Amino acid sequence: MAGSNPQRERILARVRAATADNVPTTAPAASKAPIFAEIPDPLERFLRECAANLTEVICTRDSMESAAACDRVLQSLPPGELFFQDTPVFRSWASHVDSARTVRWSSGGPPSESTQATFTLAHGFVAQTGSILSSSLCGGRGASIVAPCHVVFGTTEQVVADIDAALQIANHDLLSASYVGLISGSSRTADIEKILVQGAHGPLRVVVILQAAS
Amino acid sequence: MSTIPLQEFLRRATEKCADLTHRATIQRNIDSYDVAVAKGKQRFSDWEAARSRCSEIKAEAIAHLDRYLEQFEGKVKERGGHVFWAETAEDARQYIAGLAQSRGVKTIVKSKSMVTEEIHLSGALEKQGAAVWETDLGEYIVQLRNEPPYHIVTPAMHLTRVQIAQTFREKIPSEMNGEEPPQLVAAARRKLRKAFFSAEMGISGANFLVADAGMVAISTNEGNGRLTTTLPRIHVAITGIEKIIPRLSDLATLWPVLATAGTGQPITTYSTLIGGPRQPGETDGPEEFHVVLLDNGRSQVLASREHREMLKCIRCGACLNVCPVYRQIGGHAYGTTYQGPIGSVLTPNLKPSAGFEHLAFASSLCSACGSACPVRINLPHQLLLNRRDAMAKTGQSGSRTMFRLFRWTAMSSVRFRVMGWLSRKGISTAKALGIAGSKLDPMRPWTQYRNGPEVPTQTFREWWRTHGRQ
Repeated sequence: MAGSNPQRERILARVRAATADNVPTTAPAASKAPIFAEIPDPLERFLRECAANLTEVICTRDSMESAAACDRVLQSLPPGELFFQDTPVFRSWASHVDSARTVRWSSGGPPSESTQATFTLAHGFVAQTGSILSSSLCGGRGASIVAPCHVVFGTTEQVVADIDAALQIANHDLLSASYVGLISGSSRTADIEKILVQGAHGPLRVVVILQAAS
Repeated sequence: MSTIPLQEFLRRATEKCADLTHRATIQRNIDSYDVAVAKGKQRFSDWEAARSRCSEIKAEAIAHLDRYLEQFEGKVKERGGHVFWAETAEDARQYIAGLAQSRGVKTIVKSKSMVTEEIHLSGALEKQGAAVWETDLGEYIVQLRNEPPYHIVTPAMHLTRVQIAQTFREKIPSEMNGEEPPQLVAAARRKLRKAFFSAEMGISGANFLVADAGMVAISTNEGNGRLTTTLPRIHVAITGIEKIIPRLSDLATLWPVLATAGTGQPITTYSTLIGGPRQPGETDGPEEFHVVLLDNGRSQVLASREHREMLKCIRCGACLNVCPVYRQIGGHAYGTTYQGPIGSVLTPNLKPSAGFEHLAFASSLCSACGSACPVRINLPHQLLLNRRDAMAKTGQSGSRTMFRLFRWTAMSSVRFRVMGWLSRKGISTAKALGIAGSKLDPMRPWTQYRNGPEVPTQTFREWWRTHGRQ
């Protein structure tokens, strides 16, 4: 690509000439003060932040309760297609799905336009912002954005304190993925008179089923 | 100074200042922003330390721009992406338009990108027959109205729900199902969903380019950025070369600071990193991923020791929101892609011959912009530098002569006294002859909007003689 794009060399040459003086752009202020307060109880903070960003969290004690929580979510959904990340836990939960519904699996392709809800795992949960750490490895890129409802399953062991910790997970485990992201609530907009409206283009509803660590 | 942009600016600014509905709309929106940002800053244990940290990150990136850009490029290519370096707006337009044409692209969805506004990309793509859909709600609204974005972050900030409903009734009547904000949002969602699922190309900007990860960071609340970069078979991300940051871990500070300064949120709903096209074993995602790195005058700004700090800008829009001039005249008056204080300092340096030097004077120099900037760009100082440059460029002999005369006068008490006497007599005579405030008044540019000074019955020296010793 470099060979077919001579502009690259010209831009880099100009950049090098411009920065050759080594003059810092700003005087190094180097404040070492902590920027964010410490988070003593990440789980409590995660639940609080989710309530603020309108993510529904269902806390469960074990896999039985998680399956029951999934059933309740399924019953609350309008009729239509469902999409699951292809994992053993969802294979087991999907056996309870009403036979009238079409079920798609990530191993069979991406969710379709008409999908009503997607079910995926997560790489982590961020207490600082009530965020879900997701990637293209969680059922694909569209799995967390295409449907009106996104249901995420994870355990309390996956809750990390802050964005820095989440980015460390991304740095160690997820750099092979084409997409990595933090999802902090439902899709929203305030472009009309600064009035918050949920469900702009992505999910109107985000549900986390959070199972206690075994 | 070129007179056309200046005259246009004065005309639009005058018009907007007199539009009370417009001013009330802006006031309401910015008041709501002020409350959210004040609350958002409380989430930081030390907001000032966060600003310093962000400033250092961006300064480091700019100081070693070549190294970080090459590192970024290498990582993107490792994952099968393409990187195109564009020296000018024309080069970037040609590359993207050529790509669209060669791949038979008919429908394009765009997530919000100020760089695509800067290079006028949509027009170029439409000219070759492609349908281009802005998918950020604010951008979509102004696209339907054939207007440029009004604000870096909230492009339709100047419109009321009534105006937006009227636009939707005219342009997308079949999607309308009510005129309240939720119904308007639903109408846009229905319309744009068809575009998302039929588009062959998605074009996004980038908030940051992460050098060590080789990933493009995009922040959106609506999820349109996610859909734009996921569903079409080609994804093009275009951004300025200055958007590079050294490390993935830098986002732990930059993401919350950008969100807080931009909207008052703790973090944007979708904080997304895109590193390439669909990888082996992945379910979906584009088959092609292109990053266009745009110079378009940025390396010129970098070459100026005085101005290079402008390249730290993260386009949060905070300086616009706090600017007392922007709050009165709004975004369209500037006639530039980037409005407000950052636009006033950036535009004349990115486009030296476009005639925007006058924008440095569209400021009260109150320093609110400098205090609000989350990366500590000294915007008031930059505005002063631009004023100096504008004066040097245009050599306004009238102003120079006036200041020279004032300096000569002020350096002698006798001359100062004589000049004071002449000025008082001049103003009194002008008033007596009815010249004051008329078109013949040499002070008219000042007095047509303001009351001229009253001539005192007693000079300060006279007053001092009687009262000074008491």
